[in-house]
Amino acid sequence: MSKRIERQRQIIDFTLAALMRRKGKNGALLLVYALVIFVLASVLFCTHALRREADLVLKSAPEIVLQRILTGRNQPVPIAWADKVRHINGVISVQPRLWGYQYDTVYRANYTLMVPLENPPVLGTIDIGSGISKIQGASSGDNIAFTGHDGQPRLFVIRNILDNESQLLTNDLILLSEKDYRDFSGIPTDQATDFVLRVRNPKEYSTIAEKLVRMFPDSRPIIRTEIQRTYDAVFNWRSGLLIVIFSAAALAFIIFAWDKATGLSAEERKEMGILKAVGWETSDILLMKFWEGTAISLTAFLVGVILAYFHIFFASAALFAPVLKGWSTLYPTFRLTPFLDFGQLATLFFLTVVPYTISTIIPSWRAATIDPDAVMR
Amino acid sequence: MALFGMALHAEYNVKASAPVFARKVSIVRQLGLTDLCLFTEASYTRHISMTDMATPFQDSPATFEHFPTGALVSPPSHLVSNHVQKD
Amino acid sequence: MIRTHSISKVFNAGRPNEFTALHEISLDIQLGEITVLKGPSGSGKTTLLGLLGCMARPTTGRIFLKEREITSLPERFLTGIRRSTFGFIFQQFNLIRGISALENVMVPAYPNGEKFAQLRKRAMDTMEVFNLVNRADAKIEWLSGGEAQRVAIARALINNPTVIIADEPTAHLDTKLSHEFMSIMQELNANGTTIILASHDPIVYDSSQINRIIEMRDGRVVHEESRS
Repeated sequence: MSKRIERQRQIIDFTLAALMRRKGKNGALLLVYALVIFVLASVLFCTHALRREADLVLKSAPEIVLQRILTGRNQPVPIAWADKVRHINGVISVQPRLWGYQYDTVYRANYTLMVPLENPPVLGTIDIGSGISKIQGASSGDNIAFTGHDGQPRLFVIRNILDNESQLLTNDLILLSEKDYRDFSGIPTDQATDFVLRVRNPKEYSTIAEKLVRMFPDSRPIIRTEIQRTYDAVFNWRSGLLIVIFSAAALAFIIFAWDKATGLSAEERKEMGILKAVGWETSDILLMKFWEGTAISLTAFLVGVILAYFHIFFASAALFAPVLKGWSTLYPTFRLTPFLDFGQLATLFFLTVVPYTISTIIPSWRAATIDPDAVMR
Repeated sequence: MALFGMALHAEYNVKASAPVFARKVSIVRQLGLTDLCLFTEASYTRHISMTDMATPFQDSPATFEHFPTGALVSPPSHLVSNHVQKD
Repeated sequence: MIRTHSISKVFNAGRPNEFTALHEISLDIQLGEITVLKGPSGSGKTTLLGLLGCMARPTTGRIFLKEREITSLPERFLTGIRRSTFGFIFQQFNLIRGISALENVMVPAYPNGEKFAQLRKRAMDTMEVFNLVNRADAKIEWLSGGEAQRVAIARALINNPTVIIADEPTAHLDTKLSHEFMSIMQELNANGTTIILASHDPIVYDSSQINRIIEMRDGRVVHEESRS
């Protein structure tokens, strides 16, 4: 047994020495390989962490949100609906929700204005998200003006800046009182943006949703589980951009695995012949090739994954920033918590390391089985 | 071994972030939030779960995607299935 | 004794460039002797050496090594026998570039799984015999012709072979080194190692210690001569 181990060790040492001999070529190979893994692992880490974040955080999202659809688009809901909805069996409360968007032409930023369900700011004051505070250079106590629906500016005093740690939720929010928002947005007093329902039994969500649709055919209820599941679809592999990234990575990988697989250099072939001639069996030579492929694969995988980890969780996905930012001017720093999905990593491992190792062994098969007397000539 | 260190670091950080998440959960409840603030370009990228079928198509179903992050964001499943049901 | 019984070797059988390198050779090679295969290039010496040294199988015929037939052995066993019984010195030396002399000497023994420290010591001991200790860590490319020759010989000895096979060993050597080579071979033979050489160099086949000369031409044995 220890003989076998010793044999493996010596062949591995020999293989590593052989790799170091062609430092340039193998170095370039390692670099490309590691880069591919880096990109793929970065994408995997980023999307998984965001999905986990959404999953954990949105578990206290509204149980049912009731919207109204007119001409296929979202429209305000009539407050009058609330009375009828309240009488549905299982519904504890119905609260109208007011929120909307505001485009700031000066800073070219989109803000979300919202009347919070609990503890709204006092009349004349607002709470703003850390992103807004940053781009405007505004802090507590400052005055800030927004132009309302009638073209008239309205002045607000900033009460609080919402915490930086929640920026993935609150970066672009402006919280204000109901009266202020209605005045600002022009939404009539008998309407609201949508309703938020509280339900006694979570198992009843779908049933109540069905009842709502029957009661108001032009309504659309959205239940909490659907809200949470929305974020499973973000960064879906079918999204255009991710397909491009994955295809590019797959292509790069195929190209240089193919390069490996289509042949050994004359020097490599001669070396294998010599080894055969001095007494190495075919299995010894194939073992050497296997370790050669594995050494490069494992190193590249390790380097790529660890760099990706640093990239996403320490550098806040800096390289993806241009993509994730798009045209937004309000852009959260993606300070993500390092949730790891080992299943994904394992899949990445098997989809890259295994094919590469195989592509190293296959061309060697023929060369390794030649009679060594060819070396004599 | 480095991978192991990475896994440990991740584990530790995840556990340490529990109070932060508790606070975030409470914010979501108090404010009545439904979405993460990731992409503030357009309404349907900002409030992905609340969006309607028409908005991404803006002027016409045949128009290309206006916003870069729209290429990242898939329509939520409830939008597609509800729409199907209603028809 | 190594005995061949009517062996032939045909290359590219059935194709237009079919070539018969050996025609039904039957030979006895005594162990403990120095045997020289003499003849011009193309006479089949190299092919015969390869067959004797278990590097390839004959197309027809049988080979016996110490009364044991080796022609029909599976490749693994054949390789094992080759590794433990034979040591090869090639015309071009065929040392592996980029690694040190010491590593070259040790390479044939890696598949045996011997403890590394032990193997290293044996290799160093062998190199000491050939005055190569201070060149042990030098890369092959930096060695002189004579040093490379001795490394090649040391490598052939690492597995303590019973038989040394050398193909045109003096082809790239000057007179002095050629004589040096022959004296090393004689010393090894004095210690019991069988030597089989193929050469058309007079320094080799006119050497006094040769026991037997087998002359070949066009894949056939044309003359055998025993000396001493």
